Amino acid sequence: MATIPMTAVDRFRAILGDDRVLQAPTERLLYGKDGSIAEGDCGLVLLCETTGEVSACLRAAAEEGLPVVPRGSGTGLAGGAIPLDGSVVLSVARMRRVISVDPLTPCAWVEPGVLNLDISTAVAHLGLHYAPDPSSQAACSIGGNVATNAGGPHCLASGVTSQHILGVEIVLPDGEVLTIGGPAPDPAGYDLRGFVVGGEGTLGVVTKVCVKLTRDPPAVTTLLVDFPSVASAGAAVRDIIAEGVIPAAMEMMDRVMVRAVEQFVNAGLPVDSAALLLVEVDGTPAQVAEQAAAVERICRDSGAASVRTARDEAERALFWKARKNAFGAVARIAPNYYLHDCVVPRTRLVEVLESIAAIGEKHGLVIMNVFHAGDGNLHPLIAFDRRDPVQVDRVLAAGTDIIEACVAVGGTLSGEHGIGLEKRDYMPLQFAPLDLDAQCRAREAFDPDGRLNPRKVLPAGAKCGELVLDAGSLPEGTWL
Amino acid sequence: MTTVRTPATREELAELLRAASAEGAPVAVAGAGTASRRGPATDPPERVISTLGLDRIIGHEPADLTVTVEAGCRLQTLQAALAERGQTWMQAPARPGATVGGVLSTAASGRRRLRYGPVRDSLLQVVLATGDGRIVSAGGKTVKGVAGYDIPRLVVGALGTLGVILEVTLKLWPVPPSSGWFTATGDVAALAELGEALRRDLHLPAAVLLEPGRLSAEIIGPPADLVPPPGMAAADAPPEPAWGAEVLVGVPPTRLPALAAALTALGRPFQAELGVGTCRVGVETAEDVAAVRAAALEQEGHAVVADAPPELRADPWGPPPPGVRLMERLRDAFDPAHVLNPGLFIGDAVRSAA
Ligand SMILES: Cc1cc2nc3c(=O)[nH]c(=O)nc-3n(C[C@H](O)[C@H](O)[C@H](O)COP(=O)(O)OP(=O)(O)OC[C@H]3O[C@@H](n4cnc5c(N)ncnc54)[C@H](O)[C@@H]3O)c2cc1C
Repeated sequence: MATIPMTAVDRFRAILGDDRVLQAPTERLLYGKDGSIAEGDCGLVLLCETTGEVSACLRAAAEEGLPVVPRGSGTGLAGGAIPLDGSVVLSVARMRRVISVDPLTPCAWVEPGVLNLDISTAVAHLGLHYAPDPSSQAACSIGGNVATNAGGPHCLASGVTSQHILGVEIVLPDGEVLTIGGPAPDPAGYDLRGFVVGGEGTLGVVTKVCVKLTRDPPAVTTLLVDFPSVASAGAAVRDIIAEGVIPAAMEMMDRVMVRAVEQFVNAGLPVDSAALLLVEVDGTPAQVAEQAAAVERICRDSGAASVRTARDEAERALFWKARKNAFGAVARIAPNYYLHDCVVPRTRLVEVLESIAAIGEKHGLVIMNVFHAGDGNLHPLIAFDRRDPVQVDRVLAAGTDIIEACVAVGGTLSGEHGIGLEKRDYMPLQFAPLDLDAQCRAREAFDPDGRLNPRKVLPAGAKCGELVLDAGSLPEGTWL
Repeated sequence: MTTVRTPATREELAELLRAASAEGAPVAVAGAGTASRRGPATDPPERVISTLGLDRIIGHEPADLTVTVEAGCRLQTLQAALAERGQTWMQAPARPGATVGGVLSTAASGRRRLRYGPVRDSLLQVVLATGDGRIVSAGGKTVKGVAGYDIPRLVVGALGTLGVILEVTLKLWPVPPSSGWFTATGDVAALAELGEALRRDLHLPAAVLLEPGRLSAEIIGPPADLVPPPGMAAADAPPEPAWGAEVLVGVPPTRLPALAAALTALGRPFQAELGVGTCRVGVETAEDVAAVRAAALEQEGHAVVADAPPELRADPWGPPPPGVRLMERLRDAFDPAHVLNPGLFIGDAVRSAA
């Protein structure tokens, strides 16, 4: 582990005060991990509260030549916020103000540490909400959402984070503060705003976000559909989309997952179901009636055993509670889980789910599925116990098999969690050396010295095409 | 003397760029030429590379609502092929002769943007030839994906200065079975108020367009929803503006009514997209451009000369946006010899002004 020189620590203390520069071993341990399975090595934690502080800290870090890892709530699942080799962690979690709400555009400027759900709560009285709703929305920050281009069940019709961000204020690695975009559309020049979204903390620290708000739909219907097989549920998903119905959300859970969730939430889910589909349609009452009828008809044609419609808002909330607590429910099955996030063409869903089941059997592992079926975004979740090194090896090997199976049918490595550290060495499965080189050059336009969240997203050697890869094992500098 | 090359393969096109970069010879990238009257009024490069030889529809996946198409394919060819399967590139503008690559390079969005978003939201994957002839692919063919940096978004609206778009994969929408236009007439202030009320009261109108004396709204939905909103009557779609020269203004959506008032006072024809914040303005003289830009700046926006004869393009962009230094570095990353569409890169205009 590299230690941070005292001169640097003193500079940070002069900027933030002693109590917002954390160095105690327990604190460093805490900031050494995120929501993924790996653990890194944090040298120092900076708790910034203003853009000015972020800028001053980044400038000091630049002058001291120190790598910096931006951090929001630390719920990321790809290891994006994990510091390596004693890096400095710069947290913006304390920047939690909703700066202004414009109910007419409608949009709002918020600080990056504001939790996703808190935005919707703050504007609920105006009949508005912030559309992207990751399952972690009560814990993850909007800055983290911007950095990972987060998705959520309701991104099927309305699009992921990037489609809901009008502008950002960003601090570049050298401390320069830039405001890019905002409520006025299509400024001249390149769409830097669009490029920064999904930058995974490697392009700059986002210190303000202008989010687009969405009006609450006048009508909503939520259907819970019980299928006798994964294949029939997958067929229903395919046919709903093919018929031209784009529901607001369309989520699937397989049998193992349904059982785990039901024990955890008691939502009255049909525990004998082989696959459950949660479909929500929203819009005008006429639109909702038409779409709900179409969804129900297609599901029955695909062999659904039962279709249950949420009677009221309370029942709808219960259905969603079941879905959004799925990951939490896994704790009943095994102490740890390793989650993947591939996307496959919707036409290949059933086939890939079958491959995943076979991969589980091959490695003797329980793999559960709960995912955004409507856009083909799979979340195979491998339950395991990290204290068992043999199991860990099998988990990593199964993960590689899953990713390869998805990419083989034209899929992509990540739908919404990002590449971070965990998927970094899989990038060559999807991108040729020249593609990775181009990404590397674009990143260097923002961070020429490679000091912001180094060694994330792109594999070592991406620049020159001499890749150093270590897919299928824990990235160097991390452990379990 | 101008030489136009129309390569039939992407490798051939990349080779032309490699050669141009090696020689330091500037190249103009051309699609159909429907949006070529923009940027500063400099002499165009002698070498022109046309994308019209790359015009295949490579694969339409109706069940997955995606299409992969080459950049030189004409919009009407693509839309006609998609329509056969009841689908459409929803965010594209109604500019029939334009090419797919041209639409994306100019970030030209269609009129249903209020509901379906700008054209950049529809691009899933891009294959481009960089200025030095590297063939680079970014993004993915699936409808959702965050693997790697969002180069596709960067390329949309870059006016060909980062690379020549060769092939794209687009996200499609089903053609709505029924939709209707409604209209009202009156003075601009009253219409703007009515338009803002529509945006609040209707669920996701596809478009609310304000013009001098006329407000038009498009509603998409089942027949039961296609009833005239209060104060409006069923009508045909308003025609696309066809002015001799056009400035594109962007202001915060709440400022559009004030912008409309200012443009009315200036006597300029316009079509404003309420809720979106964009406004197409007809201009005739350099003074018009300056006056429209002043009105846009007054409303915290910007005005870009989008289509005009050279004499109106002395200052096509107006005050530079933040981040020009980053844009310069990005351009260096993709076009190190600065051969692609010189003049259309905003940083050059900023530098020559300084
Ligand atoms: C139970 C559970 C369910 C989840 N469900 C979903 C889901 O449905 N959809 C989904 O997309 N994700 C989901 N996630 C993943 C995670 O919540 C998202 O990736 C979220 O966007 C991360 O936000 P965060 O604030 O926790 O970011 P962190 O974990 O702190 O950081 C994530 C990345 O963003 C960077 N970063 C953070 N803040 C900033 C900033 N201000 N400026 C620049 N870079 C920054 C970090 O460097 C890192 O690379 C889930 C996670 C959990 C634990």
